[in-house]
Amino acid sequence: MRYRRSLLAMAALAAMAFCLPQARAQSAADRDPQETPEAFPDGPNREETFYFCTACHNFKLTAAQGMTREKWAETLEWMTVKHNMPKLEGEDLKKILDYLETALPPRAQGQGVWKNPFLN
Amino acid sequence: MKKTERSLQELYSDDAERADAVIFGRRTDASRRGFLGGAGLAAFGAAVGGVVPFAGNLPAGLIPSALAQAPATPPASPSATPPAAAAPRGPRILEFPGKAKGLVLLGDKPLVAETPEHLLDDDTTPTEKFYIRNNGLTPDAFKDGDAWSFKIDGEVNTPLNLTLGDLKARYKAVTKRYVLECGGNGRSFFQPPARGNQWTNGGAGCAEWTGVRLRDVLKTAGLKPGAVYTGNYGADQHLSGDPTKDALSRGVPVEYALAEDALLVWGMNGQPLNDIHGGPLRLVIPGFPASVSHKWLKRIAVRDKVHDGQSMGGTSYSTTIKPMVPGGKADDANMRTMLSMPVRGIITNPANGTKLPAGTRKLALRGAAWDGHDGVSRVDVSVDFGATWQKATAAKPRNRYDWRRWAAAVSLPSDGYYEIWVRATDTRGRAQPHVAGGWNPQGYGANPMHRVAVLVG
Repeated sequence: MRYRRSLLAMAALAAMAFCLPQARAQSAADRDPQETPEAFPDGPNREETFYFCTACHNFKLTAAQGMTREKWAETLEWMTVKHNMPKLEGEDLKKILDYLETALPPRAQGQGVWKNPFLN
Repeated sequence: MKKTERSLQELYSDDAERADAVIFGRRTDASRRGFLGGAGLAAFGAAVGGVVPFAGNLPAGLIPSALAQAPATPPASPSATPPAAAAPRGPRILEFPGKAKGLVLLGDKPLVAETPEHLLDDDTTPTEKFYIRNNGLTPDAFKDGDAWSFKIDGEVNTPLNLTLGDLKARYKAVTKRYVLECGGNGRSFFQPPARGNQWTNGGAGCAEWTGVRLRDVLKTAGLKPGAVYTGNYGADQHLSGDPTKDALSRGVPVEYALAEDALLVWGMNGQPLNDIHGGPLRLVIPGFPASVSHKWLKRIAVRDKVHDGQSMGGTSYSTTIKPMVPGGKADDANMRTMLSMPVRGIITNPANGTKLPAGTRKLALRGAAWDGHDGVSRVDVSVDFGATWQKATAAKPRNRYDWRRWAAAVSLPSDGYYEIWVRATDTRGRAQPHVAGGWNPQGYGANPMHRVAVLVG
C-alpha cells in the first residue's frame, strides 16, 4: 500500500517540479481558501486525486466537471497528450479514476441550467 | 527522487518547512516569507524573462498551493480558516487588486473569473469589471514599459524586432471599442456538461482598446506569398511550468491579421493596459475566441500553413463539422477550428432575482448584444417565455466589433413571477436558440437566450 502511494506521490512531484513557478503566482488575494481536499466530495483516494490534479490546476476545475469513467479516462489522456500531465498507469490510474467516477459522476443537469432565484 | 518513498502528506506533517526545503529547495525566513533559493529562482527567472511573480510577498504557507493546503499544516489561527466540512456553496467571488467585487471566480489556477450579466450594464465595460481568462501561469507585472520587445518572423521579407516604444513612435495609434469574448463563453448551458470552465454569459466585455493596426506593422515586415496563418505567442508559461511548452499559441488566417480591425494594444479604457489584461502589450483580434488575442505578446510567427501551436486543432476551440451526439465520443477529423463567436444578447438590468413593488406594471430593460464578425441586426424581448416578442431599441455600434446596447420598456399585466427573455439576431438572420445546440466535447458556441426572473409584489 505504501509503495502504491509513493508512486502517486512521485507522479505528483514530477508534475510539481514543473509547476514550481506557479507558486510565485499565488497570492493571498487570489487564492481560494476553500481549496482543500475536504471541501470536495468524500471518497476513497480523494487526497491522492486532489494532490495529483492540483499539481497543475485548481481542484475547483476538476470538480466543475462530471463524467463517466470512460470520459474521465479520455480527459486524463487528453491532458497527458496536450498538457504534459505525467502519464498515469496501472494501479495509480485506477485509483484516480475510481475517485473521479464515484465522486464526480455525470450530472443530470449542467451548472448553467435555469434556477428559479426566488426559491430558498 | 529515490528518497521520496514517503508521501507528500507524511513529509509535510512531519515538518512543513523542511519538506519545502527537501522538495523545492525553498527556505522560509523568520518573517514567514519564503524565497526560492539559488537554482530554483534562476531557473524560474529564466523561464519568464527575469520576472518573478509576487516574489517577496509570499507567505510560506502558500507554496505551492496544493501543498500549502495539506491537511497536516494547521492554519496559524483557528479562526482564520473555517473547517471545510462541506462542499463550497454558491459562487466564489473574485478578490483581486483592481477588480470590482462581484466577479465570479471560476478558478484561481489558472486564474479565471467571469462578470455576471448585471455587472455588464455600462456602455463601455470598466476595466475593474472586465472578465479574466488566463490559460497558463499568471505572470507578475512586467516592468519593461516602452522597452517591452516582441518580434515578427516566419513568412516575412524582413523579420522585425520592435519595442512598444517603436510602435508608439512609428505607427498611427487608434482607439476602438471592441467586444472581447472567451471562446468557451456559455459553456455551462450545454447538456450534458462539456469539459472546461463552466462560463455562463460572463466571459465577455466591451472595452476601448488603444494601439496600432497589426496590418501596418505586418506591412513593414512584408508578408511572403506563402503566408497563410499567424502563430501568436505570449510571455505566460504553460500551467505545467514546463518552460519548453507554451501556455497557449493560437493564430488567425492572415486575411484577418491584415484586416483593419486587428490591433496591437497597449491601452485599455484610456489607461495603460494593466498586467492582468496582458500589459504592456497584447493582441486584440476581434470576432474570434479571445484566445487568439494573446496577452503579454512576444512573437508573431507568420506561418505557411494553419498554425499548429498549443491549443490549436483537435477539440480545442473547435466545433463539429457533422453534428455529433451530445456527450458522445469525439472524432478529431470531425472538428473544425472556430473562427467566429456566435450571436449573444444579455439583460444587464434588472438583475436576475429582482423584487419589484406590488403594482409595478412598467419595467425598463437594458442590455447588450454582440456577435463575432457579422454584427447584430435586431434584439427582441419577451415576458411570456417567448410566446410573444417585442423589438428592443438597439444603439448603433461604433464599428463592426462593438456591441449594441439595447433598451426596451415592457408591460407586466399583473403582480407575480415573470421571466424576461432576450433574443439577439445576427445580420445573417441567425437568432439565439432556446437551448445550447451544436454540442462538442470542449463546449464551444453555446449561446442560448439569456433570461432573468423578477417578482412583482
